[in-house]
Amino acid sequence: MPAPPPLPASASAPRAGARAAGTWLAAAAVALLALFPVLVARPYPLHMGVVLFLAVLEAAAWNLVGGIAGQYSVGHAVYFGAGAYAAVMLLERLGIAPWWGIWAAALCAVLLGLVVGTITLRLRGPYFVLASIAAAEVARLAVLHFRAFTHGAQGFVVAEPPVLRLPGLSLTFDGKRPFYYLTLALAVLAVAVNRAVLRSRLGYQLLAVREDQDAAHSLGIRLSLVKNQALAISAALTGVAGAVFAGYSRFIDPDTVFSLTDVSVPMVLYCLAGGAGTVEGPVVGALLLVPVSEALRNPRGLVSLGLLPAGSGVVGFVERHLSQAHQLVYGVLLVLIVLFAPEGVAGLLRRLLRRSRARPRPAPPPA
Amino acid sequence: MRSWAGVPAPAGRGETGMILFLQSLLSGVLMGGVYALVGIGLTLVFGVMRIVNFAHGELVMLGMYLAWFLFTRLGWDPYLSLVVVAPALFLWGALLQAAVVGRALHALPENQMLLTIGLGLAMSNAAMLAFTADYRILTTSYSSSGLQVLGLSVSEPMLAAFLVAVGVTAGLYLFLLRTDTGRAIRATAQDREAAQLMGIDVRRMSLVAFGLGAALAGTAGALVSPTYYIYPQVGGAFTLKAFVIVVLGGMGSVVGATLGGLLVGVTESLAAVYVASDLKELVVYSLFLLVLVARPSGLLGKARA
Repeated sequence: MPAPPPLPASASAPRAGARAAGTWLAAAAVALLALFPVLVARPYPLHMGVVLFLAVLEAAAWNLVGGIAGQYSVGHAVYFGAGAYAAVMLLERLGIAPWWGIWAAALCAVLLGLVVGTITLRLRGPYFVLASIAAAEVARLAVLHFRAFTHGAQGFVVAEPPVLRLPGLSLTFDGKRPFYYLTLALAVLAVAVNRAVLRSRLGYQLLAVREDQDAAHSLGIRLSLVKNQALAISAALTGVAGAVFAGYSRFIDPDTVFSLTDVSVPMVLYCLAGGAGTVEGPVVGALLLVPVSEALRNPRGLVSLGLLPAGSGVVGFVERHLSQAHQLVYGVLLVLIVLFAPEGVAGLLRRLLRRSRARPRPAPPPA
Repeated sequence: MRSWAGVPAPAGRGETGMILFLQSLLSGVLMGGVYALVGIGLTLVFGVMRIVNFAHGELVMLGMYLAWFLFTRLGWDPYLSLVVVAPALFLWGALLQAAVVGRALHALPENQMLLTIGLGLAMSNAAMLAFTADYRILTTSYSSSGLQVLGLSVSEPMLAAFLVAVGVTAGLYLFLLRTDTGRAIRATAQDREAAQLMGIDVRRMSLVAFGLGAALAGTAGALVSPTYYIYPQVGGAFTLKAFVIVVLGGMGSVVGATLGGLLVGVTESLAAVYVASDLKELVVYSLFLLVLVARPSGLLGKARA
């Protein structure tokens, strides 16, 4: 393969300052989030944090394949579920602690990703989307069927993990705080991976694939190789997310972790809402959508935050009518986003920002 | 997406291997007729608009609920209720096309798919709000009655569903081949711009095609309502199966969808008997993936430029 072309200097130079500022801002936000559990000990805000960070992790993982490489997988639940089952079954059957299980979950998801990717990534457009959904359904049905091995529809209630002893530190994975830090770290990692990939040779190749597969191919990019690489990284992160979800929720069954509507679609939706293919997109999307869906799923959380009065009729109404159908919001949002903000909210904001920035500066742009 | 509770299996009373095979082949063909109806609806929409409608199964679900509603409230027979279900779904489909899907005609294909996934989610969750998540059963006097034909037992409601499906399919073929609107729809599917230049109102054809697709899906839903559990998420499996059917038959091909429907029905039925009843869908999806490996544009599909 020929050496990668040098980056166009003119494109990266003016944005370098903005990028550095963005990095500092992100670092400050992460530092604040890390301090948060020290200041607030109530479980609900911490729970919201865990749910939010998991969403960021999943969305950022999907972004590698769907956003950067443009391969709209709507079956990422297969990696999420594989990760969850790998970690839980290692703990239940062999007594292997989850902090080893997490690596096994990532490995399982990657292996599965290689199999699924080899089959599906050669396909394009609707064929790829369908094949990805079919692959996740095959996994769900298989786990449901082979009861002796997987407990079938009954699922697993996850035992309490043993205490993790590190030099100078012993961690019990009990309560919200350890999971808060764990998921925060993983979310940061996933976003950092996105950033690193976008700046790497692989990232440029993936962007080329997204824009025009045939052109990318004729430039010497090995389509299935780079797409499978992106999927492998994405699957690993998704598998880890599944394993952490299993440890946090303490219960898994096939209909939860292999769910199209509860796992595969939200990942896509977060990314799309925030702006697919960007570093900040998954974060923005999760920040926008997770609070909405969590509030509908469990309106009592809003009461515990003091946002709603305890006897509020809203809580009763939402619990009675909307908590069962919280995906209604996902559905309506998907429609609205595609119709009115196809570049996502980040894209929308960027467009507005560019416009407002362009106005007060009358100086002609450098030629 | 939850799996759907399958058709009550025909009573097997120690039949010999050949009888068992013929029996499952027969029930596969009967179910395949209904699947073909679902697949034809999907392929019609794809052919005319090049939009892959991921909300197609939810239209089947709406047809089931409508038939159930008419049966429980007004005591209408599900086959009689077709005269309401089909036009109602036609209007609903045309409305969806005019208000939502038609607006995204020039969006990226991926975004169009997400749009219809969103529509499907909205519909199944709205059904959950309206009817709760409870499983509903529509029990008619003939729901579990069967006929004996040449030593094979035939489920009466499935046979009726098959016959109606065949009739509707034949009517649709005639409509597409013989009427002006049918010709205009086929012309639009062949080449949208050329059709427009020939004076065909392609926007109207899109409305008709989406309406027809929805009506076919709703008809299929009403036809299977006496033998299926009815619940808000039942559409998911229909969507996926409709796609398998359409991809097997080549996207946009009505004849292909008919054959694909029969193929999927028979595969499912044979898999339920010879593999395991809860793996029949797994077998269908695996077959689908295998076909895509061998022929990335479908079994009967032409390689697309």
